Amino acid sequence: MAEKKAVKLISAEGFEFIVDHDAACVSNTIKNMLSSQGNFIENELGEIRFPEISTPVLEVVCKSFYFKLRYANTASKNIPEFKVAPEMALELLMAANYLDM
Amino acid sequence: MAGKPKKFKIEPFKHPLKLDPNYADNTWQLLESAIHEINSHNASGLSFEELYRNAYNMVVNKYGDRLYRGLMETETAHLSKVAGRIEAAQGDGFLRALKAEWENHNKSVQMIRDILMYMDRIYVKHQNKATVHQLGLDLWRDVVVRNRRIRERLLSMLLDMVQRERQGDIVDKGLFRAMTQMLVDLGQPVYCEDFEAPFLERTSEFYRAEAAEYISSCDCPAYLAHAERRLAEEVERVAAYLDASTEAKVIKVVENELVSRQMRALADMENSGVVPMLQQDKYADLGRMYGLFRRVEGGLDLLRTTMGNHLKETGKALVMDPERQKEPVEWVQRLLQEKEKYDLLIARAFGSDKSFVAALNSAFEHFLNLNVRSPEYISLFMDDKLRKGLKGMSEDDIEVVLDKGIMLFRYLQEKDVFEKYYKQHLAKRLLHGRSSSEDAEQLLLTKLKTECGYQFTSKLETMFGDIKLSREKMADFKEYLRQRGTELAMDMSVQVLTSGMWPQTTASTTCNLPRELEQCSTEFAAYYLHANSGRRLTWQTGLGTADIKAVFGGGTRKHEIQCSTYQMAVLMLFNDAEALTYEDIEAATAIPEDDLKRVLQSLACVKGKAVLRKEPMSKDVRPGDRFSVNDAFTSKLYKVKIGMVTAQRENESEKAETREKVEEDRKPQIEAAIVRIMKSRKRLGHNELIGEVTRQLAARFLPQPQVIKKRIESLIDREFLERDSTDRSTYVYLA
Repeated sequence: MAEKKAVKLISAEGFEFIVDHDAACVSNTIKNMLSSQGNFIENELGEIRFPEISTPVLEVVCKSFYFKLRYANTASKNIPEFKVAPEMALELLMAANYLDM
Repeated sequence: MAGKPKKFKIEPFKHPLKLDPNYADNTWQLLESAIHEINSHNASGLSFEELYRNAYNMVVNKYGDRLYRGLMETETAHLSKVAGRIEAAQGDGFLRALKAEWENHNKSVQMIRDILMYMDRIYVKHQNKATVHQLGLDLWRDVVVRNRRIRERLLSMLLDMVQRERQGDIVDKGLFRAMTQMLVDLGQPVYCEDFEAPFLERTSEFYRAEAAEYISSCDCPAYLAHAERRLAEEVERVAAYLDASTEAKVIKVVENELVSRQMRALADMENSGVVPMLQQDKYADLGRMYGLFRRVEGGLDLLRTTMGNHLKETGKALVMDPERQKEPVEWVQRLLQEKEKYDLLIARAFGSDKSFVAALNSAFEHFLNLNVRSPEYISLFMDDKLRKGLKGMSEDDIEVVLDKGIMLFRYLQEKDVFEKYYKQHLAKRLLHGRSSSEDAEQLLLTKLKTECGYQFTSKLETMFGDIKLSREKMADFKEYLRQRGTELAMDMSVQVLTSGMWPQTTASTTCNLPRELEQCSTEFAAYYLHANSGRRLTWQTGLGTADIKAVFGGGTRKHEIQCSTYQMAVLMLFNDAEALTYEDIEAATAIPEDDLKRVLQSLACVKGKAVLRKEPMSKDVRPGDRFSVNDAFTSKLYKVKIGMVTAQRENESEKAETREKVEEDRKPQIEAAIVRIMKSRKRLGHNELIGEVTRQLAARFLPQPQVIKKRIESLIDREFLERDSTDRSTYVYLA
């Protein structure tokens, strides 16, 4: 499989997160954006703007991509806890719903 | 953190456009225009995220319904236009346009589904609506494919393509495949209703017409080949561009039209139907017919019955042919050929189908039992094989030949008649030492035993035992003579037979032995009765043979004459006399009249073997004829064999006699069966009893009901049974 290039995710405040294609595809929404037929702008530019996701939330989202990638298919039982600040939990939950992950 | 507990407040999700009353309309307009762009393949520049976010927000803000309805309306309107474009396409372009539009539609729906993913995930699921993908298919089905003008045109074009291909044209299979795939994608019912059902109907019409045409213009093999090819073509067609589910259905239709409806006509076709094919050993064509007929109900029954009837007819002709019956061995050989032919046929053309083997067997059983002489002929066949046919054959070959004989034997209903003949023939072989292989005899005996059980062969085994014992006895006898210093005037061999076990021993056939032999027989009798006191020896001179030396031509030509004991007794008389009259001979030998006439005939009237001269020179022997030694006798061979009686087809009187004996022997068997049954059942109705007796005796013969009835009456007379006092058709066993 040809190596997929990295994807740029941009937060509401304009911060850019560059993540691996595979990691970004943990989100079904992002996966669809990048694989949908037709030339949507995201697919052409390789970057996706999220005007409704704030920088701190997006950062945690990106971390969780890699976390999931790392542990999703391990048989090991000692998977560390993915810690989330309580005040961010709700926003994160909504972002997760939005991103379908 | 003590003292000042952290306040944790859950704020509602802040939405910028939350209160805008036109929010839904605005957002929908945005999405609607995007859908238009997508439908016209102009999606580049659209932001997936934006569209997704808008759809997301609409669903989150409870405008899902609005979104869904909007999508439906937009798509319906779009597809109506598409339908219009497709309709406008001319000729072959129609299908291509349909295909292209279908592909575009799929692509668009896919993209719309992608951006409306959130709706699919949440709204559609909760409301139990069709997903965007399904909606796309449903709308395509209702708006495009089931558009009246498109539907009819599509169907007629597809059917036309099939028709053209059946007639040998080449059609665009890819296009066809795309169309059927589209119909299948729209749902199996759509495929079935809009295409398959009319297709099957058309197929049926096509092949009905074709079958009618071919059946009148082709011979049976050509028709079969054609039908087979057509079936293969239909299978290929389904694989090439129809849905796999159609295969079984279309094949059934074709089978029905090409095979079911025509099979009787095919089977009975003059000059090329089943019977001519059987006659001409057309394995390939028959195999093809079997392959086709087995597909349809009743096909194999028809083929099997036709074969069975033909076989019965030819078999009957064969079995009853008076010419063939003159040569019983040939007759059996011919039947075996027929059997082999059909065995091969069933193996090669009918896949060794068990039901066909059964039909073959029942046909053989049927016609073989039509001729009452079959048991005799089969025994003669075996006799022939055992006497001369097996020389130089390996053990395996011998077994094959014997197995064939046994196979025919198995078909016989009157196995006891066979036994009777077999016994006669075996006796002749044993007594005259004519059996070519003792192993083969034993083998056959074992086979008969496995077929019919111990009872069937017990007498035959006694016969073998007698012969073996006699051989030992003779060695012992020689030793006895040597010890006593007695010398016999000639070499003698005696076979002691158990009376009652051998067929010939019933009628006493004896004669006066020449004095040279008297000494021998007296010696033997003395020896035997000494060793086995209490027994009685009866000489069966009619069955013996003798080798005698004779001198002809004034002592110039020496010959050894092989002949029967009777013949020897007659010849020996001429040691003392030049010429003798018939009456002299009869008085001296005391040979029964019939036998004597035959003996004299064989000695004096057979050309090239006439060691006696007869006056007058006529064919028949009459009282008053004079006999003298034929001094002019010549022969190229040193050993001269004088016509011995070998197993021959019986003449009419002998046949009747054997028959009578058989009938006589059956009586006690039937009675035994009746008593056995009644003893265990105590009471039994007439018909049940007859049925049970028939069943019990089936392994040996097929008793006639009248005969059984006579036996029952005889048993009633002898008070084994009585009729029930109230029900006259019921018998009661009397202990």
